[in-house]
Amino acid sequence: MKKIREFIRKCPFFLLLVSTGVVLSLLGLGGKNNVYAGQEYNPLTEPAASVVFTALNDGIYPWQIFSEESRSVMAEAESTKEESGETTPAAGAAEENSEGSAEESMAAGEEGAEGAAGRDDGDGEDSDMPAEGEDGGEGIEEGSGAAGTGTQAGEADSTEEDSPASEENEAAPDTQEDAEDDENVSSSESDIPKGRLEPLRASTHEEYINHISADIYGDAGVKRAAEYGFVRVDESYFDDALFIGDSRTVGLRDYTDLSDHADFYSETSLTIYKVLEESFKGKGTVTSALERKDYGKIYIMVGINELGTGTTEDFMKKYTEVIDTLHELEPEAKIFIQGIMRVTGKKHNSDPIYNNNNINARNNAIATLADNEQIFYIDVNEVVCDEEGNLNAEYTFDQLHLLGAYDELWKEFLLNHGVIE
Amino acid sequence: MVSFSSLEFMFRFLPVFLIIYYLVPSKYRETVFLAGSLVFYAVGEPVLILVLLFATALNYYYGRKVWELKAEALRHGWVEKKRKSYTGQILLLDVAILVFFKCFAAFVDSALLPLGISFYTFKMISFQIDILRGEISEEPKVKNVALYFTMFPQVVSGPIMRYDEGTFGREKSCSPEKLEDGLKYFVLGLGMKVLLADRLAILWNDLQMIGFQSISTPLAWLGAAGYSLRLYFDFWGYSLMASGILVMLGYEFVENFDHPYAAKSISEFYRRWHITLGSWFRDYIYIPLGGSRCSSKRLALNLALVWVLTGIWHGSGFNFVIWGVSLGGLIIMEKLVYGKYLHKFPWAGNLYVLILIPLTWVVFAITDLKQLGIYFGRLFPLIGGEGIMVNRQDFANYTRNYSVYFIMGILLCFPCVFRFYEKHKKNPLMILFLTGVFWLSVYYVSSSAINPFMYLNF
Repeated sequence: MKKIREFIRKCPFFLLLVSTGVVLSLLGLGGKNNVYAGQEYNPLTEPAASVVFTALNDGIYPWQIFSEESRSVMAEAESTKEESGETTPAAGAAEENSEGSAEESMAAGEEGAEGAAGRDDGDGEDSDMPAEGEDGGEGIEEGSGAAGTGTQAGEADSTEEDSPASEENEAAPDTQEDAEDDENVSSSESDIPKGRLEPLRASTHEEYINHISADIYGDAGVKRAAEYGFVRVDESYFDDALFIGDSRTVGLRDYTDLSDHADFYSETSLTIYKVLEESFKGKGTVTSALERKDYGKIYIMVGINELGTGTTEDFMKKYTEVIDTLHELEPEAKIFIQGIMRVTGKKHNSDPIYNNNNINARNNAIATLADNEQIFYIDVNEVVCDEEGNLNAEYTFDQLHLLGAYDELWKEFLLNHGVIE
Repeated sequence: MVSFSSLEFMFRFLPVFLIIYYLVPSKYRETVFLAGSLVFYAVGEPVLILVLLFATALNYYYGRKVWELKAEALRHGWVEKKRKSYTGQILLLDVAILVFFKCFAAFVDSALLPLGISFYTFKMISFQIDILRGEISEEPKVKNVALYFTMFPQVVSGPIMRYDEGTFGREKSCSPEKLEDGLKYFVLGLGMKVLLADRLAILWNDLQMIGFQSISTPLAWLGAAGYSLRLYFDFWGYSLMASGILVMLGYEFVENFDHPYAAKSISEFYRRWHITLGSWFRDYIYIPLGGSRCSSKRLALNLALVWVLTGIWHGSGFNFVIWGVSLGGLIIMEKLVYGKYLHKFPWAGNLYVLILIPLTWVVFAITDLKQLGIYFGRLFPLIGGEGIMVNRQDFANYTRNYSVYFIMGILLCFPCVFRFYEKHKKNPLMILFLTGVFWLSVYYVSSSAINPFMYLNF
């Protein structure tokens, strides 16, 4: 007893560290099946406490564990996650589930909620099956609108299955159409531009778990967008332009004189999931910018940061939503979707996520949104890439961003791709 | 796992190791320490651990022979010659191992540089010379020698402790006070590394991303200052973590940094920066060459040699040679020409160090000579000209984002701030502060992929 008392007196720091560590670990373990279900955690290399910290970045705080209704906590947590765009697979399921159960009241919706309950257990017990989580969620949600989207609904039922049956795969596009229409009616105006291309296929489970962005659209959209006859303009053209983008656009802002003309809402690590909600330092949100000033052109380039997040479908869904919202808020403005700038060959060959196959697949998807009337697709890769289609290694230090001195190429490209009616 | 600030090390390896180390009877502790060290190294370098094991065996073999001949050498002069020749052989072998792998890494594949080889071969050389000189008092047993070369707190990046400082073979007292003390050093070092060095590292990365030709002159100076602080806290933090672990295990604290940025001359700076490396060069190269007790011509030559070697040791790029030569040049000038004035006017000395040392770190940092030229052009626009697409706002932007790290870093450069900490480290508020530092560091480590320690692949 005396010994213990002496130890306490001599090692207050040690004991404080250990006890705070125990508390944090208990929090981490306690929240494992609900608030922290979405955090990646490897018990071999990480303390249980680390999920408490990683979750902070997603806006999930420890006290949410003690909240009475764990379900509402989850919904809240997931909606914050959605804003930050860092939806991890398992969380994706939760997100879709909560949407499904909250919004849908039809019979199909009930079915979805049932599926959701099953999903919860699955995620809690086995974090090795993130893919099923997400796909299942998709299936549930879309299933409420239509008959279910082949692949995904199929997967929702069989969590053990590794690859979807091929016939379900083929069935996907048809039903997807219904699902999309249905969604459009419920979510936004009928003013959506017509003639959008449909995906040729759905992402496979294999592609999903390996973080491969599936090229589900082919180059039809890119080709159609390239048919437009862009013209050379001068710098005053950008006087009513708004640029939205990530760190690459920050480079364009800081190392060309475009910022003398246009407004920039750009920020390091911006993603398509954050575009509409993000409050830019000292400027507010994009929405508030569009309310303040009538923009004639809106340029957007995002997509590199979220390359490892979700499938091409997930990305495309959000991208479509953002473009439609921008169009709705500023119907007169020309919207320029800029293809995601590629990475160098060195990066392309060594990185399983940040490579040009994934970038091209996503560019092919977003290019289909162009209608060549109000919405255009332009691709700066034409001027910054080498013969092999990789970002020219001389133009960059970190294989990803243009050096300040070469942002001028991008500006020139934009000057050559004006739209004048 | 070889990084002390990784979650794997802090929350898996270290606690398990400490529990076993404390639980076993004290006579087995060195064996446990050796086993833990081999596990640690094998995880980081599963194949090239063979190089470490081979070099350890070789050095034990020679060291033991030279040790055993010591008594005899006192009676027969020729035995002393034999001892010297053995030592000469093993020193050549140690240098050959180091040079071979350094060249191999430089010209063939940098992945083939065994982890920590620059540090453990230097320990081996020091061990051999100390044996020859009779500076090792206890009999070197194989377990102790192996532990000295492979001990996990030091094997990757030092400090280059001397064999005798380890007091091997003597029982280590693992008192609660030592646990507490060592843990505080560890957490302090962790905070320096994760909260300061890793944050400031982003600034340097940004400058590279922008391209040196496009940074403004004020930003170039801010970058040089940021890099100087980052390198300091990276390495001082690492050394504190390493020595903190040793203290927890019952060893003595090994001092590696003593507020170098408060120095008043470059030679003083390097007596206070990476102290164990500086004293290694002093004891095993500089003094055997004649040190400073010789003609000024010879002195200059000795210093030049030491500094060229120091440069080459740090890296294979030609910039490291330039770095070593310019430091050597400055130190020679101080010894022979203006050193005495620097100490007469302390402020001038401080200013001199604080302007020149960051410039030498820029040379240290940029391995591409063309890029190095561009950076100096931006530092001194009168020589370097205008730059390309320079953004005049950049300095203001970066100062805004990084001022908190600069302020903290600069404060920690003052010896009195650290003395204040030492004096009050038992205060409950200080303990709360350190706990905060620890968990904030864990937060950063958890949420970001961390930079591996810069000195890792030497």
